[in-house]
Amino acid sequence: MISYITKRLWQSGLLAFIMSLIVFLGMYVVGDPVEMLSEEDWTEQDKIELAIELGLDKPLHEQYLNFAGDIIQGDFGVSFVHNRPVLDLIVERLPATLEIAVLAMVIGLSIGIPLGIYSGIKNNSRGSRIISFFSTIGYSTPNFWQAILLIMVFAVFLKWLPASGRGLTNSMFGIEWAWLSLDGLKHMTLPAINLAIYKICMQQRLAKSGTQEILYQEYMTFARAKGITRNRIIRRHLLRNILIPIVTITGLEVGGLIAFSTVTETIFSWPGIGKLLLDSIHMVDRPVVVAYLILITLMFVFINFIVDVMYAFLDPRIRHQK
Amino acid sequence: MKHINFKTVCFVGFLASMMGSVYADTLRMAYSVAPKTIDPYKSSASATASLNEHVYEALVSRTNEKLLATSYGWTDDTTLVVNLRKGVKFHNGADFTAEDVIYSSCRMMYRVDGKKNMLTSAMGPVTDVVAIDDHTVAFKTVGLYPILIQKLKSLSILDSGDADLGATLKFDNTGDCGITRYPTKAEFESGKYANGTGKYKYESFANTGDAALVRNDNYWGEPGNWDRVEMTSVENSGARMAGLLAGDYDLIENPTGEDLLALEGNPAYSYSTMPSWRTIFLILDVGSDVAPGVTAADGSNPLKDIRVRQALSLSIDRDAIVDKLMGGNATVASQFAPSYQDGADSSMPNMAYDADKARQLLAEAGYSDSISIDLRMPTGKYQNGKRVGQAIAQYWSRIGIQVNLVAEPWSVFRKGRSARELGVFMYGWGHPQGPSQMISYAFGTRDKALNLGGSNYSNYTDPDYDAAMRAWAVETDEAKAFEYNQEAMRIAVRDLPGIPLYYQHSIWAHKSDISVSGRPDERTFADMATKN
Repeated sequence: MISYITKRLWQSGLLAFIMSLIVFLGMYVVGDPVEMLSEEDWTEQDKIELAIELGLDKPLHEQYLNFAGDIIQGDFGVSFVHNRPVLDLIVERLPATLEIAVLAMVIGLSIGIPLGIYSGIKNNSRGSRIISFFSTIGYSTPNFWQAILLIMVFAVFLKWLPASGRGLTNSMFGIEWAWLSLDGLKHMTLPAINLAIYKICMQQRLAKSGTQEILYQEYMTFARAKGITRNRIIRRHLLRNILIPIVTITGLEVGGLIAFSTVTETIFSWPGIGKLLLDSIHMVDRPVVVAYLILITLMFVFINFIVDVMYAFLDPRIRHQK
Repeated sequence: MKHINFKTVCFVGFLASMMGSVYADTLRMAYSVAPKTIDPYKSSASATASLNEHVYEALVSRTNEKLLATSYGWTDDTTLVVNLRKGVKFHNGADFTAEDVIYSSCRMMYRVDGKKNMLTSAMGPVTDVVAIDDHTVAFKTVGLYPILIQKLKSLSILDSGDADLGATLKFDNTGDCGITRYPTKAEFESGKYANGTGKYKYESFANTGDAALVRNDNYWGEPGNWDRVEMTSVENSGARMAGLLAGDYDLIENPTGEDLLALEGNPAYSYSTMPSWRTIFLILDVGSDVAPGVTAADGSNPLKDIRVRQALSLSIDRDAIVDKLMGGNATVASQFAPSYQDGADSSMPNMAYDADKARQLLAEAGYSDSISIDLRMPTGKYQNGKRVGQAIAQYWSRIGIQVNLVAEPWSVFRKGRSARELGVFMYGWGHPQGPSQMISYAFGTRDKALNLGGSNYSNYTDPDYDAAMRAWAVETDEAKAFEYNQEAMRIAVRDLPGIPLYYQHSIWAHKSDISVSGRPDERTFADMATKN
């Protein structure tokens, strides 16, 4: 186990390094921060001073080495645009993204899996066909289009829910959360549903195909022959066995939700980190973009690690492997 | 750890959510770009300035109204004396005096938090700021600098009581000034020192750019129209409009043309427009032997030939662009700055359209069907920018020019521009200083001492033009300065180092129970709106 973890750590370090190098060079190609920040009436001297202040007067390799050196010491640098430590910016925006990501995942799993199992067991029934129909639509229509539709229906026509923003936040453990106030919950609902639709459909499909595969396994027939109740078969034998692919995908999806819910955050004007990334790319705010993507890389590595551990927990064959 | 009762939290949240409706007259605005800070010196972005203008005031407003100054004038070539308004109080109750102007000048020069302020150019070549008495202050400059009062429009006045002044307050270029402690940007954002003389007072500011303000009841002039102002920013234009229709906001800025169509026939909503100071124009590299992205069959730079430039301008039907593409929300240009802005020659005729003559001019110049042009433009920057770019490409191809339209993100575009890789590009310029601002930077030979020609991407040079602009740069008599500037403008329109297209209008969509007067500087200010 220890050698496994060491190997993982080494790999993730290498991955983060390659990532930072690519993004650093990429941002250099995208634009010149001094150009983005300066005004037309600035003198040459003003621009030079700004470049020195941002450390952009040095050759590119030196800029990268300084940046990498700082990161190894845990210093992710200061945003060119916001003038604040990058880590502060990311940590400040993270709760907003986390809360809609978690809510979306909870909705996705709690609706998707039962629907999937149902349509797997009752394959070809009318209910199953209706579920598959909607799941196909939800799966194949673009995310931003669904978002606009949600806004049109629930915000503009019915006026039940607000169309954008995060609403009131309340503080818990020193962090501002929207889900602690009714207003905040209302604001969370549409973006979370927007993110959840795709997850529901995907979980439904995964659970359905898993169910159909496992339903005709010999041990299922045996369990039925033993006279075990239907509910217990589903819980003990079916659910456990379809969970492995679901856990894998869910792990990756959680990561994806946290890292790249940019479209949803933009349309609903949700002040999360996806929006921060997009704004930073536009403004050539290199420290933010690079640090963000390094952190995201590490997060994915971590999630994969958790997924591996969960496999072992779920599947005794993996657990007892030598 | 104290256990948090979920019901209590919900109830408090519910109460808090009701708070908004307690205020009778609350205006909820959605900006299209998020303000970055509520420290007025730290960002030059327009959205940031929009927010800050509610809280802080300068000596003179963007539209040349006197705010904290009551009068000003040059007593000699290098001394601008400003008489300050009496009886003005900051939000914290402190009196406004000359010391506050000196302190503000110092903080503008100081590297607050070790970082250069983005608006330091507001101070121009000022070498000293001295108090003549409590309500008179003198700005000393290195040499003649008539536009100083224009530059000072960016110097928001702060309260000197918010810093720890040393024994004596003496202005210097580093902003040291003997001051032992300056309030930091974070202290502004937390509200501790967000203390100005403006119509609205700080209530809250979040790093996402959301802010809430309340009316300053002790304002020296006409108080604000609203008890409370809430501002948020929604960058996506569709989402912004949806927010308005959903009732989340009362007023939004910059709706798209399609959005306005959706509003028509809905009596609950309306929109208001205002001609802005932004001119949309093309810049042509007329000076280089080879202009990047521009080729002719004979290998020369065809843009050097005035007939080619005239043909390029004549081939564009600006009326059609304004009517069809902009839905009437633009004005055909007669020059490189709005003809309705202070200091412009409003008698200049609109740029003409004559495609036959354009073809004929190209033939005379010997460039029939032999020119190829990369037309470069930024995306997402100007209203309908991409479509206007496509229209121009079509107009040019009609007179036998092969056009390749290259639309790039702003960051990529700006990098290309600073590397002078753009031979022909679309750009927009709008500034409260008026016509002189644009043409003093955009055309004319580079003159570092007078700060002229800094953005001359046309590589244009003309002795008459330079003479006029140099005379303008040191003319303290405003009427004469306008004349020099108008002369330079006429030369630029004659020589076409660029092609003026149209003046953009600003648009605000809002509920129909409020009226919006609009502003020409593309900013959104709460008091533009009044309740019907």
